[in-house]
This record gives sequence, C-alpha cells and structure tokens, in this order.
Amino acid sequence: MIGEIIINAFLVTLMLTIAVFIINTRKVISTILLTGTYSLVAALMFVSLDAVDVAFTEASVGAGISTILFLAALSYLPKEEKEEKFNIKHIYAICTCTIVAALLIWASYDLPLVGQLENPVHQNLAQDFIEGSRNHIGIPNVVTSILASYRGYDTFGETVVIYTAGIAVLVLLYDGVSKNSKINKEKNK
Amino acid sequence: MDNLILKVCTKVLFTPIILFGLYVQFHGDFGPGGGFQAGVIVAAAFILYALVFSVEDCKVIMPPKLNFFLLALGAFLYGFVGVIGLILGDPYLSYDVLGSTKEAGQHVGILLVEFGVGLTVCNVMISLFYSFADFDFGKKNND
Repeated sequence: MIGEIIINAFLVTLMLTIAVFIINTRKVISTILLTGTYSLVAALMFVSLDAVDVAFTEASVGAGISTILFLAALSYLPKEEKEEKFNIKHIYAICTCTIVAALLIWASYDLPLVGQLENPVHQNLAQDFIEGSRNHIGIPNVVTSILASYRGYDTFGETVVIYTAGIAVLVLLYDGVSKNSKINKEKNK
Repeated sequence: MDNLILKVCTKVLFTPIILFGLYVQFHGDFGPGGGFQAGVIVAAAFILYALVFSVEDCKVIMPPKLNFFLLALGAFLYGFVGVIGLILGDPYLSYDVLGSTKEAGQHVGILLVEFGVGLTVCNVMISLFYSFADFDFGKKNND
C-alpha cells in the first residue's frame, strides 16, 4: 500500500515536472520529445492502475508513433517558438484554465474511490462480461473480448474513424506529393 | 543519412520489430495487445526504415498503391466479417456462427476483426508518414 503511494507520488511529480518543462522550453524539438516522455510516464501510470492494454496503447501510440509523426512534420516548422510578451490574451487563458481546473477538482469529489468493489462500474455489466468472456467466448483477456465482441460496433466505428482520418489527410496532402515527386524526377533527369 | 551503424542496426531490427508486431496482433486474445497496438508497431518498423534509408527506399518495399489498398481492405474486412454473420442468420457482428461451435466462432471472428483493425491502423500510419515526409509545404506556399 505504502509502496503504491510512493510510486504514484513519484509518477505524478514526474508528470508535473515534465509539463512545466514543456511550457518553459522554446525549442520545438524539445517540446516534441518531452511530450513523448510525458506519454511514457502516463503509460507507467496506467500500468500501476493495472490497465495494461491501455498502457500498451499509450506507449505505442502516444510515445511512439505520434512523436515520430511530429518529428517528420518538424522539418516544415521553425526551429524555435517566438518569444511573446505578456498581454491580455494570457489573462483570458489563465482565467479559463483556473475555472476549468476548479470545476474538475470540484467534480472529482463526487467520483467513487478507485478499485472499490461497490463502485457503480463494477455493479452492472462488468460481471456478465467477465463471466461471459470465460464461458461464452473462451479467451483469457477480457479487454479483447469486450473490445472485439461485446462492443464490436464501437470498435468498428473507431476503425472507420481512423480510416476516414487517413483518407482525409491523403486527400489534403497526397495530391501535392505526386506533383512534387514528378517535378523532382524531371529535375533529376 | 549516411551512417553505417544506423543502417546495419536498422537492417537487424526491421524483422524482429515486425515479428513483435505480429505477436502482439495474434496474441491479443491471451495477453495485452490487439490490432491497434500491433498496427502501430508494424508501421514503426517501416517508418524507421524510411528515416534511416530514405522515403524512396521505403516506397520500394511498401508501395503507396499497396498501402492504400491495404488501408481500405482492413476496414472492409471488419465490416465484411459482420456481413458473413448476417448472411448465416445471426445479428451483425456477432460471431457465433463463424465456427463449428459458438466458442470457435467467437475466436475466428475476433481474430479476423483484430486483423482488420491492425491492417487499417498500420497503413494509415505509414501513409500519414509518406504524406508528411514528401509534402513540400514551402513550395506550395511560394506558388
């Protein structure tokens, strides 16, 4: 129990430190790499909450592929962020952030404690899913059986969203690619 | 990039990364993992190859046309598995009739559906990387 508290305190401190560094740094490459590190710490947090599948996704998508894609986009960006003087926009931003944070903290008092058996999430469908995953579907990983079978529609929706997003980016960018590569080839000739 | 160490390391690492991706893909029923993570891992292998060698070299092993085809095939496979069940007289995306027993049907359905997810995610990531790596933003603005 005490070990868990120490680990969580360490991870939260690490996340806050990284967040402060992300805000302070002006170099774009450090921002990208620090964001990747932040995702990695978030993945560790999910592991300590026993959500291994989510941690795996966070590590591979958040810390892995999005960092790589940001790095690929980096060559089109300026190396450093512009220094901006304190102005009225910052005051609006600070007010919005404070209010939203206060509301979230206030709402968090209504949340049930993590990992309690009598929590609402464990009362309704969870038991059916856990029993059904063993008896009806017959695979040990309950997350997979919920994701692919019980909630197959949702996952289908997610897949179609990813597909549509990919197609949208291709429609926006790929036209330019084919033209440019033709131009480049002609230049090389 | 003309770095011999990076090139040799990439050649050594390329196959194990894809193998790990396949393990995550098909072992998702028993351990953490599944289509989303596996797709991203396999895409990472191709992106690593493109970063160390060049995007043109990567297009030889993964041509954009094949990429677009597989991108659509993944989503299609997912939807089609549901339609097979529908034809055989079951609700959409319920896999009971796909195998000899209900349990076997569920196994087959989940395996196919996860494979579809993996295909789509992997190829979307690779084509996103191609788009970013090739697109000449500065040129477009100057025109």
